[in-house]
Amino acid sequence: MRTRTAMPLDSVRLAQFAVPFPCHICGSENTLAATLCQHCSAPMSIAHQVRETGIAPHVVTVLGSSGAGKTVYLGTLLDMLSRERAPLQLTSRGAYSLSLQQNTMSALARCEFPSKTPSEADCWNWAHCQVRDPADRRPIELLVPDMAGEAMQTEADHPLTFPVIRQLLGRSEGVMVMIDALEAGTGGSSQEFLVMKMLSYLSQLRTDRRRKKPDTRPVALILTKADQCEDCFEDPSGFARRRLPGLWKLCQQHLQNCHYFASGVAGCCAWQVEFGRQRVRVPLRLEPRGIVEPFVWLVRHLQK
Amino acid sequence: MSHRPSTRLTWMLLACALLAVAAAWTTPDVPLGAGGAALLVVTFVWRVRRRAPQAVAADPAAASAGATPPARQRVDAPRSGSASRVRRPSSVPRTEQQALIDQMLQQGRYTLLLRRQLVGNLDREQLEHTLELLHEAMAVVPEGNVRMAQPDWDAVPGHQEPAPGRLVHVAPLLLDRYAVTNADYQKFVDAGGYQEMPLWAPEIWPGVLQFVDRTRHPGPRDWTQGAHHPDLADHPVVGVSWYEAAAYARWVGKRLPTDAEWVKAASWPVAVGGVELEQRRYPWGESLDERKANVWSTGAGRTVPVTALPAGSSVNGIVQLIGNVWEWTTGDYGMWHPPSRSIQAPQPLKSLRGGAFDTYLEHQATCDFQSGDSPLARKHNIGFRCAISLCDLALWTAEEACGEQLVALDDARQLEREESLA
Repeated sequence: MRTRTAMPLDSVRLAQFAVPFPCHICGSENTLAATLCQHCSAPMSIAHQVRETGIAPHVVTVLGSSGAGKTVYLGTLLDMLSRERAPLQLTSRGAYSLSLQQNTMSALARCEFPSKTPSEADCWNWAHCQVRDPADRRPIELLVPDMAGEAMQTEADHPLTFPVIRQLLGRSEGVMVMIDALEAGTGGSSQEFLVMKMLSYLSQLRTDRRRKKPDTRPVALILTKADQCEDCFEDPSGFARRRLPGLWKLCQQHLQNCHYFASGVAGCCAWQVEFGRQRVRVPLRLEPRGIVEPFVWLVRHLQK
Repeated sequence: MSHRPSTRLTWMLLACALLAVAAAWTTPDVPLGAGGAALLVVTFVWRVRRRAPQAVAADPAAASAGATPPARQRVDAPRSGSASRVRRPSSVPRTEQQALIDQMLQQGRYTLLLRRQLVGNLDREQLEHTLELLHEAMAVVPEGNVRMAQPDWDAVPGHQEPAPGRLVHVAPLLLDRYAVTNADYQKFVDAGGYQEMPLWAPEIWPGVLQFVDRTRHPGPRDWTQGAHHPDLADHPVVGVSWYEAAAYARWVGKRLPTDAEWVKAASWPVAVGGVELEQRRYPWGESLDERKANVWSTGAGRTVPVTALPAGSSVNGIVQLIGNVWEWTTGDYGMWHPPSRSIQAPQPLKSLRGGAFDTYLEHQATCDFQSGDSPLARKHNIGFRCAISLCDLALWTAEEACGEQLVALDDARQLEREESLA
């Protein structure tokens, strides 16, 4: 017995693979139907967006160790800027850009922190958005990946393990560095070393010709979890000078355009113990402080 | 008002003693005279010794009031009968005790004066003034049950289903209409509240010295030179720990509300069908309105005066229970959590209610939501208001002495009737 079926011609199927489509991050060729870059795992929708709009976004990287608060900061920032009363207006480019905001806010609303960002680059969230400053008519396109702290640490120790990180740092026009103020306040120095490694790696990636000139990229050094370390809010720069002397000196020597900020999202945290599970740190309420200011500073420098 | 038996006995003894002395004087009977004189002395001593512990020991707040030594200073207040209610002419020079009472009234310590031990010291004018202050500053929260909701982590935030909870009975109380302001707290600081150790819990005595302002003077964290910013006099006091809030409350003769009392005042539960409690999500209704509460979405970004946003008052006229500043209560954080999910912190956290000007999520600024913080935390968005149980005030005594109908007293009487009917 014969049945009729519709079979696409092989030539049509092959055509999808035959048309090369470069990834916006690493520039390697992918197929038109690919959702993630097969080389660096960046979402191909960024490349599609760029081709449609004709505007290449500025890449802003967020550096910091695992647990420093990168995801919470970014998710809260995106949520705050997408509300009406914000100094900058933010519009997401594509549905994938909202995942970070959605995941973070859902978790915080349940009085939990979002789960740890996996090291695998194909699991990261990316924020591709248009930012409009009411004081400036020109909107600015930004691409902010939420990279995993562990992956950054591995890349800093063993370069080229994560090509996407190398590519992003190389293209980065603005940098936000997250440092856990709570840990720094109690004398911990592991984060300081990691951030110093990352900043050194960042300057290493600049081409030789550019390396002769001082690095003028805006770098916002954000002391996170400052809500539990109140003196950090009073004077973030002084706090960094006292508690993170190595990082302070590195920034003084190599970065011409850096500024210290303090931020906090939770008003208070505690440990929650649930029967049959590990104890987890939970926020008892959501009171964002110092979230928008570093970003506004960074965007205004990028606009110059 | 009738005299108490002990007072009657005193007067009888005194009368007998005087009669005996008078009889001995007219008929030179030495034993009768000596007996009368001895009786006179005994009566006097007994009367003096009876009064001292009554006024001091019964109430530590009253003891710390500075209003004490009631045994020596007490002046018999008009008790009953129209003749005794004559208004004292203003030309009469005020005694030291009356000046002290006036000072306490100026300091907002009116509830201390309405304690059973002290109410008798007030003259009619002071009593009227005290009751007026009470009525203006505090609102009655009637007796009844309140459902203390358990946090429902699996629920979608903002859901309208009643959360599971525990029924708690609340006795009638008076709750401050407004949060304690900087101006109010300044009186406590100026009166040396940080040096009066009986006001402070003994476990915090070593820590009181750490409760200093920016210039190392005793006071809230953000003050300078022991004084608040002149523009923020009517803003809620912030930067005070739970212990400072409790000490202030004790100084004014009040206390911090319990968790259940606070929730009852805000959510105003009504028993539907006599069983199910209908509680409000916000004091004004079921949805957040930025014009009624100072939260993050209101956009103020800082505290506002305690009298602002009156549209957000509770049913009985308590202002800003939601928003502006979190409020300390006496409860512990996590006390309503299910046993399977407990909270660990270096020290037990105290309960906070109501949300603040920077509370970002709507469902965290509701009557139900409980947050917490260390009792030593002195944060920029945590303040407090005070409460007092109705049973701690001699309102009926005051009413009879005053001879006037006051709304607060009517409310209290109504509550008593309801209680007796129940």
